[in-house]
Amino acid sequence: MAAVTLKNVVKRFGVFEVVHGADIDINDGEFVVFVGPSGCGKSTLLRMIAGLEDISGGEIAIGGKLVNDVEPADRGIAMVFQSYALYPHMTVEQNLSFGLRMTGNAKADTDRRVKRAAEILRITELMKRRPRQLSGGQRQRVAIGRAIVREPQVFLFDEPLSNLDAELRVQMRVEISRLHKELGVTMIYVTHDQTEAMTLADRIVVLNGGDIEQIGAPLDLYDDPANRFVAGFVGSPKMNFLAAKVVGADGGAAIVELANHGGARLRKPLADVPPAAGTDVVLGVRPEHFFDAGQGDCDIAVKADVAEHLGSVSYVYANAGANAGANIGANTGQEELIIEREASRHRANGDHLVVSIKAGRSLLFDTTGARIR
Amino acid sequence: MRHQNATAYRFLAPYLLIFAIFWVWPIIDSFMISFQATRTVPWRFAPGFNWGRLIGDPAFFNALKNTLLILVIQVPVMISLAIVMAVLLNSPLLKARGLFRFAFFAPVVVGEVAYSAVFRLMFNLNFGIINKLLNSVGLPSVDWFSNVTPAMAVIMIAVTWRWAGYNAIILLAGLQSIPEDVYEAATLDRVSKLKQFFYITLPLLKPIILFCAVLSIIGTMQLFTEPFLITERGGPGGGTETLGLLLYRQGFRSLNFGYASAIAYTMAGLAIAISLVQIWLTREPK
Repeated sequence: MAAVTLKNVVKRFGVFEVVHGADIDINDGEFVVFVGPSGCGKSTLLRMIAGLEDISGGEIAIGGKLVNDVEPADRGIAMVFQSYALYPHMTVEQNLSFGLRMTGNAKADTDRRVKRAAEILRITELMKRRPRQLSGGQRQRVAIGRAIVREPQVFLFDEPLSNLDAELRVQMRVEISRLHKELGVTMIYVTHDQTEAMTLADRIVVLNGGDIEQIGAPLDLYDDPANRFVAGFVGSPKMNFLAAKVVGADGGAAIVELANHGGARLRKPLADVPPAAGTDVVLGVRPEHFFDAGQGDCDIAVKADVAEHLGSVSYVYANAGANAGANIGANTGQEELIIEREASRHRANGDHLVVSIKAGRSLLFDTTGARIR
Repeated sequence: MRHQNATAYRFLAPYLLIFAIFWVWPIIDSFMISFQATRTVPWRFAPGFNWGRLIGDPAFFNALKNTLLILVIQVPVMISLAIVMAVLLNSPLLKARGLFRFAFFAPVVVGEVAYSAVFRLMFNLNFGIINKLLNSVGLPSVDWFSNVTPAMAVIMIAVTWRWAGYNAIILLAGLQSIPEDVYEAATLDRVSKLKQFFYITLPLLKPIILFCAVLSIIGTMQLFTEPFLITERGGPGGGTETLGLLLYRQGFRSLNFGYASAIAYTMAGLAIAISLVQIWLTREPK
């Protein structure tokens, strides 16, 4: 087991800088997930920790030891690849033992490690099969098994579940979580799937365009995102962003007028000094934080375009302008909103809907995306 | 659907007709000719005439021995060389990869007569560059075309020069189909580059190596140009005569088409048999 520390780690491909000075402290035994959209640098960061990519600047330490110039095999890590990277001409058993056999590890010890890994992952009955005779989930188990036999200090997972179907992904997610508890070692996991990140991680590192946007526990990121990017990336369906303008202040609160909802106003208490009147802002409201009319601090009327019924809840995609009452804002059709409602078979396209926003369940951002607290 | 099929076959008919007349029929006809005595007119059916002669003909066994000798020595050397060239071509360290790829492939597109003439000049006893190079390091000149062993060596060197690059390009395509992350996984497993080559690259490249080997076996069984042009019709004294050359000599110099046909079928049969053995030896374990 080992802690992993990244200090101002930079990666350049030619003149293009793809990671701009990453600082991350990963504790011993922690499960950390790097998450972000495609091209954000999360896999590059993982490959730099593995030693498969050189670093252009900064320092990487594993177990307190600087590993910038240490060979990948000597870093005490094991990696599970997105495409499994199994040796196709070898049986499962040979795949698991290959590395140990090639480095002259004692046969008894190799056998013991392979047996243990097979038992942990419940693949004992597959040992004589070749990768092409395995299902996607079984291949992934073998790939994880190959990492386990190395008895590493740190496990690295590079989007290991992205080639699996939805059901298997959930199953393997639970397996990986179980494995982390069982082995208790440090795990670093890369994914673009925020659900995987939220369910697996002790802490999440959100990356965007080579920058770290925020590091925190899953629910901290959900409840208290540092900026609009994190707010939009964490949570599914994603947060709604409503164009707004500060029209005044009331004590420590900003009075915010929603631009596309017929002048609907919300009093949003802030810890900082409220922005000056006339400042354009963005109000973030999660789909699950719309309430029934009159139960929040500001009601808005919308017209449902499409309703998705998931059984437990319905998601209403609202957009087109709606004729609302005189005392509430009318949607002028400029913004698409996703609103979570109680499941109802009767909710249909074209329905008019009045929902309410609570100040305490909404977030305010400036036009650059920074949070206004 | 049946109507559509009929239309398709009508479009294919001109090609199929030409294919049948100029390809299928000669194959069948030559097989039948191999059972005829064709040294005198009119030809007559004599099943044992050519096939019986084949079994006891020293010229045939000499040509067979020469062909198999080239096959056994030249093919493995060429394939090994092609693998090394493919690995070098695939190296990320290599600059101007496109240029090298073209250079390795270029010998195939050079005219056979031109390349044979150049090789004859290069290995010329008095003013060939090879002897000049040997002399420059203190070694004596070799009379490449007057002795069997050097003449055979020239044939093998020439064939290897012409076809190694071609095979390397095919192998390179195979190499590029091996996913990079398999090597990365092996690197993390502390497997050295050399062991990665023997335990990962070679096994994964096996089907492509087999393909190249079968192509080369077929090519060598038909070897004609080099012994005809470089060592002047299989010289010295039939020392480099191959089955292809013997076939040519019997068919088109002696106009003994029956015997030439029997040789042709023997060549094809041997190529098939050797290729099948090769495929069987390198089959995938169940």
